[in-house]
Amino acid sequence: MTHEEIGLSGTPKKSVTIVIDGRKCRADEGEIVLSAALREGAAIPHLCYEASLDPYGACRLCMVEVCHNGKTSMVTACTLHATEGLEIRTDTPEIVKYRNVLFELYLAEAPKSDVIKEMAARYGVTRTRFLKKIDTDDPLGGSCVLCGLCVRVCNEIMGAGAIGFVNRGPYTVVGTPFFEANTDCIGCGACANVCPTHAIRIEDRDGERVMHSWGGGRVRLAQCGVCGKYYAPGALTAATLARLLPPLRDDLAGLCPACRAKRIADEEIRVNMRGGADHHVRPRRS
Amino acid sequence: MTGAAEADLPAREAAGLRKLKPDRPRIAVGLATCGAAMGGDRVYRRFQEIIGAGGDDIMLTKTGCIGYCREEPQVNITIPGRPLVILHRVDADDVEEIVTAVRAGEVPYEMALCRVPSWDHVTGTTVEYGGGFDRIPLYQDVRFFSHQKKVVLRNAGFINPEDIDEYIAVGGYAAAKTALTEMEPDAVVAEVERSGLRGRGGAGFPTGLKWRITRKAPGDEKYIICNADEGDPGAYMNRNEMESDPHMLIEGMIIGAYAIGAREGLIYLRAEYPLAIRRLELAIAQARTCGLLGERIFGTGFDFEIRIVTGAGAFVCGESTALIASIEGRTGRPHPRPPRLTDIGGGLWKKPTDLNNVETWCNVPVIIQNGGDWYARIGTEKNTGTKVFSLVGKVDRVGLVEVPLGTSLNTIVFDIGNGGSQGKKVKAVQTGGPSGGCIPVRLFDTPVDYENLNRVGSIMGSGGIVVMDEETNMVDIARYFVNFATGESCGKCVPCREGLKHTLLLLNKIMAGKGTEKDLDTLGLLADTIQKTSLCGLGQLAPNPVLTTLAYFREEYGALVKK
Ligand SMILES: Cc1cc2nc3c(=O)[nH]c(=O)nc-3n(C[C@H](O)[C@H](O)[C@H](O)COP(=O)(O)O)c2cc1C
Ligand code: SF4
Ligand code: FES
Repeated sequence: MTHEEIGLSGTPKKSVTIVIDGRKCRADEGEIVLSAALREGAAIPHLCYEASLDPYGACRLCMVEVCHNGKTSMVTACTLHATEGLEIRTDTPEIVKYRNVLFELYLAEAPKSDVIKEMAARYGVTRTRFLKKIDTDDPLGGSCVLCGLCVRVCNEIMGAGAIGFVNRGPYTVVGTPFFEANTDCIGCGACANVCPTHAIRIEDRDGERVMHSWGGGRVRLAQCGVCGKYYAPGALTAATLARLLPPLRDDLAGLCPACRAKRIADEEIRVNMRGGADHHVRPRRS
Repeated sequence: MTGAAEADLPAREAAGLRKLKPDRPRIAVGLATCGAAMGGDRVYRRFQEIIGAGGDDIMLTKTGCIGYCREEPQVNITIPGRPLVILHRVDADDVEEIVTAVRAGEVPYEMALCRVPSWDHVTGTTVEYGGGFDRIPLYQDVRFFSHQKKVVLRNAGFINPEDIDEYIAVGGYAAAKTALTEMEPDAVVAEVERSGLRGRGGAGFPTGLKWRITRKAPGDEKYIICNADEGDPGAYMNRNEMESDPHMLIEGMIIGAYAIGAREGLIYLRAEYPLAIRRLELAIAQARTCGLLGERIFGTGFDFEIRIVTGAGAFVCGESTALIASIEGRTGRPHPRPPRLTDIGGGLWKKPTDLNNVETWCNVPVIIQNGGDWYARIGTEKNTGTKVFSLVGKVDRVGLVEVPLGTSLNTIVFDIGNGGSQGKKVKAVQTGGPSGGCIPVRLFDTPVDYENLNRVGSIMGSGGIVVMDEETNMVDIARYFVNFATGESCGKCVPCREGLKHTLLLLNKIMAGKGTEKDLDTLGLLADTIQKTSLCGLGQLAPNPVLTTLAYFREEYGALVKK
């Protein structure tokens, strides 16, 4: 990612006007329309969008109607970029009709998910005509909607690649290879964090993080050298520390967040008394 | 190397002609996959035994398939000064009789399908075989052939696909030479634009325009790709094009690469086509030996190489973005466009890429050789040229059919195909593979072109035409195709993954006699939703069999549901 992309270059993005359900709003040129619309309070449902990841367009819930040269078409707002004068509608009868069927499909696919039930109910869908998927052995507890966020975060952001899609079509599931514990898992828990339906079960116990949904893999937790608390997976802290410069890295190794904050505060006070700041964090290369 | 290649062409042309019209009898066995499957291999081996044992001065060779698959295995006999004779339904046991006749300067009349006194290879070369054998019907009087117009299949079944000399002898690589040595790349693009050629992979996007966009895209590094992932049930025209005339594809790609400014071309070829892979590999090697691939082709500054990449049999990998993912070694799942393949960042290795179907590439040499205007006069105004269809199912004459676009379904199914097999009544056809619609016989005056097929709820697709007769249950047909699409869905987006599954469940329920009128409404609404909301073409088109059978054969559904 370049500095431009993360907005550090200092040149402000050009601002454009887009029209959402007849209301004029400002957006950055090229900004994802879903993101702009949500900021403006539009009620567009979505399950697979995450700003830090590449556009994916799989849940199809964020469909909006675009009016272009008098012709309308339905597109997903999460793959649509803002341009000057872009006009979208979020609740035409057509969109409502198709979105409701999609909600019914979700209710059948993830019958155990309260998040889905609540989301569907918000748009007036409370029952499904389709056969509900019942799988009592599902490690994701009948709540996965295959939005792919966990897989993408694990691969694209964490770079661990511990989980992926298995099979295809209606048999697609998310899991580790052969559904066994995967030593590539660093136990970061980003998957569980990003999951919109809270389907992923992770538990910290006895100094270990247990990945219940991922073949029961176990990752040792690091223990704080000062207070003795288990605070994060060892592999994850190692990966994080590797990004820091030696003086700070050595200072922070083996500390829980609370003790770390205390240590940094103490350090800052000491440095400031000397009059000057160090750059502790190595800049990321673009 | 370069000079040698240039000098080579006339020599190879002469050598090729000597092989096509030797001064001794020539026996050529149709050995595309269809011929081999019907026993052509055994016939060929038997010829080897008998000719070898008798010490005859007879040339034995192979050809591809002329398209009349019902009549396989076929054998061509060329006796000097006589017409080429096509024998049909030849069995290994017939071989002795054939050789005996040929030794006497004759052919076994009762095995003859037709004779060909001269054959026009369209690009300016007509091979004159000779006269006589008047008792055998002429090629153009055989009803399966008489309504056809061979442009792409002009060489199929006549030349040996494993011998570059024979391709050159019938005008091959002349178009590539013209393009590279006499035309600017822009002029080549303009010629293709003038021809009106549209993509034969299904969507009918104007080929010249796609080339122009790719040519104009910034960057020096560009790719061209041939989509040979043909995976529609019942469709095998691309297979035959590659097996019967692989050099036509290679020549089309050379011309396209030159026009677009690509130095590398890839053929994405499904692993289920081993013979096509073998013949293309051989053809590429021969073209390289002749200096038609590699560096400084025809002594110009243009370098070009072709590589074959085999796909692992996923239907969705025929979709452009999934195809790229598959070549790059990622899971073959489509992603939203833009970026398009022709954009920077969207193509292979993020470089602008032009993707065209096998048959699209095969149309290119004749366009350059005979001109875009010549091509545009075939077919209709917005649908120029010919298209190859595989006519299969419950039809009397099964085979590959090449007709001008705009030909009616009536002509294809009744005049060429002779209606239902075993005299049964034809009820409908399904065009465009698993994602096409079913068209009832009362709409058979529909001209077969991109727009008119869409108008009746179907698609051109890659050109499969499956005929259904009075005994076919249309609900079962819909279920068959939905079952195929469900199994091939990549599973990424919810309408296709979940929606097709529930479509299938509903169809199963209806077929079992347990459905209700309400289920039919749900089925219609669901199919409509999948069509409108899916991410890629697979899901967007997969409901077509359901939607069209619901529209045209609702009574068959009605008969199955509980009142
Ligand atoms: C599910 C799916 C499967 C496809 N399979 C093929 C195929 O087997 N061969 C092909 O040429 N095009 C196939 N296509 C169309 C390609 O995406 C693309 O449009 C085509 O190769 C472009 O070439 P053309 O412009 O020459 O037609 C498929 C499309 C979809 C959505
Ligand atoms: S429509 Fe089907 S094949 Fe295409 S992306 Fe969606 S799930 Fe995959
Ligand atoms: S958020 Fe746009 S398709 Fe899922």
